Amino acid sequence: MRVLSIAAIALTLLGATAVQAGEYNITVDRVKIDLGHTTKTGVGFNGKSPGETLRFTEGEDVVINVKNNLNVDTSIHWHGFILPTAMDGVPGLSFDGIKPGETFTYRFPVVQSGTYWYHSHSEFQEPDGAYGSIIIDSKKREPFKYDREYVVIIADKHHHSGAKIMRNLKTDADYYNRKQRTLFDFFSDISSKGSDAALANREEWGEMRMMPTDIEDVQGYTPLMNGKTPDQNWTGLFKKGERIRLRFINASAMSFFDIRIPGLKMTVVSADGNNVQPVTVDEFRIAVAETYDVIVRPKGEKAYTIFAESMGRTAAARGTLAPRLGMSADVPEMREPPLLTMSDMRLSPLHRAAGHAGHGEGHGGHGEGHNGGEGEHAGHGGGHGEHAGHGGHGQHGAKKPDPFYAPNSGLKPTAANGGKFLSYADLKAQKPLYPDREATREMEMRLTGNMERYSWSINGVKYADSDPIRFKYGERVRIKFVNETMMTHPMHLHGMWSILDNGSGKWDPLKHVISVAPGTTVYMETEVDAPGQWAFHCHLAYHAKAGMFRKVIVEGGPKEAALKDKTKG
Amino acid sequence: MTNFKSAAVAALLAVLVPVSLTHAAGSGTQSHGGSHGHGAAVGIGTPGGTPSRTVTITMHDNYYEPENISVAKGETVKFVVKNEGSLVHEFNINTPDSHANHGPHMAMLFEMGMIEPDKVNRAEMAATKGSDHDMSHDIPNSLLMNPGETQELVWTFNTDKELEFACNIPGHYDAGMYGALAIN
Repeated sequence: MRVLSIAAIALTLLGATAVQAGEYNITVDRVKIDLGHTTKTGVGFNGKSPGETLRFTEGEDVVINVKNNLNVDTSIHWHGFILPTAMDGVPGLSFDGIKPGETFTYRFPVVQSGTYWYHSHSEFQEPDGAYGSIIIDSKKREPFKYDREYVVIIADKHHHSGAKIMRNLKTDADYYNRKQRTLFDFFSDISSKGSDAALANREEWGEMRMMPTDIEDVQGYTPLMNGKTPDQNWTGLFKKGERIRLRFINASAMSFFDIRIPGLKMTVVSADGNNVQPVTVDEFRIAVAETYDVIVRPKGEKAYTIFAESMGRTAAARGTLAPRLGMSADVPEMREPPLLTMSDMRLSPLHRAAGHAGHGEGHGGHGEGHNGGEGEHAGHGGGHGEHAGHGGHGQHGAKKPDPFYAPNSGLKPTAANGGKFLSYADLKAQKPLYPDREATREMEMRLTGNMERYSWSINGVKYADSDPIRFKYGERVRIKFVNETMMTHPMHLHGMWSILDNGSGKWDPLKHVISVAPGTTVYMETEVDAPGQWAFHCHLAYHAKAGMFRKVIVEGGPKEAALKDKTKG
Repeated sequence: MTNFKSAAVAALLAVLVPVSLTHAAGSGTQSHGGSHGHGAAVGIGTPGGTPSRTVTITMHDNYYEPENISVAKGETVKFVVKNEGSLVHEFNINTPDSHANHGPHMAMLFEMGMIEPDKVNRAEMAATKGSDHDMSHDIPNSLLMNPGETQELVWTFNTDKELEFACNIPGHYDAGMYGALAIN
C-alpha cells in the first residue's frame, strides 16, 4: 500500500534529516465479512475489513489517496490525530465527503506517535466494517521496551446493517436487548425483597424508561479480534521470555470490553496513543474508540487466552498468544451479567435535585470529587495518604473505590482473579504535553436522552436542533460532563486533546475519548490550539446518529492553519 | 491522616517483615535491616571497596543506558549514575526475584506520598529512620534519585549470582527498566 517517494529514499540514503514523506493508497470497497455463522456484506478498505494496519512515523508528511468504490459518499477520519481541520474527514464539517468514484487526497504532517485507528465517518459505514488500525512509530526511543508487537483490534460486528439497526432501535429501543427483566424476575424480586420494595423498584425503573439490563443497547453481534471470530481464534506467536507489546483498539460501534489474559499481568504503558506512567494490572476496560497499549511477558512455553468480555456480558472476543500455531489455552466462561442499580441513575432528570443535594458541591477545582459521588473520593487528587484510610488497607493493590463509577454502581468492574483492575484514576501522563494551568472557562455538557424514543442529546438538544459550541483559540476550556442517562458515553472531541481530570494535577493524562459512566460527573480540559470546525460526540454509533453530537467552532488563531492543506486530489 | 498512614504502614510491614529476615550478614545492612523486604541478601556482593574502574549509567524515562554491563567476579566497580529523565528512578543491584519483592515496598512509599512521580521526599523519609515504620529507603545496594541528580555507588561483586540493576518505582521494572549484570 505504501509508496515511499523516491526523493525521500534518496535523501535517507544521503543521511539527510529530511522530512519523510509516505504516500498511501486506500480504496473504500464493498466487502464480505466472515462472522462464522454467516457472511455479511459490509464496507472495508482495500477489499478487507478490518483494513490493513497503516504504519506512519512521527514527523512524516503523509499523502493518503482515498478512492471511493462505493455507490454512496464516503470519508475517512483519522481517529485521535492532531491535524488541520480540512483533513479530519468529517463530511459536513471538515469537507464535503468523497463522492462515488472520486479520490480525495489527505495531506498532513504526523505530529504524534502511538496506537490509533481510522474509520469512515459517513452514515453507518464504520459499524458496517470500515475500520482499521494505525501505528505511528515514535521518533525517539519509547519509555518502555518490547521484543515484538501485535495490534489487537476488537469490533462488534452485527449481521444487520447499521441502517437497519438504527431503524429497529427507533421503533423499539429494546429490539436488541435480549436481557430484559421479565415478569418472572419481578416475582422473584418480591420473594427476595418483599412486595413493596419490588414494586417501588419497578416503578422507578418504569419512570426512567430504562431497565436494569440496559447496558448494551445492541446485542446479538459477533465480537471479532483482528477480524477473527472467537472460534477462528486469532493467534499471535511469541518465544517465551519475550516482552510483547499489545496495541488494543476498540473499534466497536457500541460495545465496551473487559480485557484480561489469564496467567499474565499486563503493564499499561499508553492510553489513547499517549504514554502513561506504567501501571501493572490484571484486567482493564476499554471504552468504544479508546486504545490501550500493554506489555506482557509470557515466561511459559504455553498458550495464553486473550479474553475480552463485553461490559454487559453478552459476548466475548477471544484470541491466543502462543509459542506455536494451533496451540490454545482454556477459554473462561463469561461472568454473570451486571445489573444497573439505582446509583447508576442518581443524576437522571427524575432524581437530579435529590442527587445533587446528596453530594454537595464537590466539583469546583482540580483534585476534588469527580463523579458526583458522595465526597468519599474527594481527596483522590489531593494527596497520597488518604486512600489508605478506606477500609484500613495500606497494601499496594488494595481495593479503592473507583471514582469513575457511581458509588454502588452495578457497572463497577472487578478483576476476574481478584487482582488489580485499571481505573481512569491510575492514568498519569508519562510526559505532560501541556503545562498545567487553570482553565479559563467552564462549560457544562449534560449527556441526556430518552431510551424509549431512542433519542440521545446534549443538554437536552439533539444535534439537528443545536447551535455550534464556540471555543476561542488560546483558551483552556474545562468541560463538565454530567451523565444523566443510564448508559455509558465515550465522548470524543476531534482535533484537540482531551485532558482527563483524574486528580493527578500536572500528570492528568491526554486522551481522545473520555468515557462517562452513568450517574457520574467527569471533567476534561482542552487547550484550544486548533483552528477550524470539529466534531464532538458520543462515539456509540447509534447515539451519535440520534443526536448526541455537536459541532465545535474554534474562533481566532492563525488563519493560515485553518486554510492550509485544502488541496483536493 | 497520620493515623491512616500508621495503620497502613503497620499492615504493610506485617507483610514484609518475614521477607526481611533474609536480610543479613555480609551486606552490612543490619543497622536498618528489619525495615525492608528487598535488602542486600546474602551473596549479591558487598558495598564499598576500592574501585578498579568507573561505569557511567544514564537513567532515562524509563530505561537505562547502557542496558548490559559485564564485571569480573570479585571486581569492585564505581557506578556513576545520572538521572536525565523527568521522573524519579532507582538504581538497585539485586537478583531478579529480590527486585520483584522490592516492588511492593516501593509501591507503599508511593502510596504514603514519600515518593512522588518526580520527587523523593527525603526529609520525610529520613524522619522515619529507626522507627517501627522505617521508610528511609537507606540501603546500600540502591540509589533513589530525583530528576537531574547524579549519585555514586561502589559495589564489590564477590558473588556469582545472576544480578540485574533495576528501577523498582511502581510500573518501571515491568515497563522494562532493568539491565543485566553479567559476572564473568
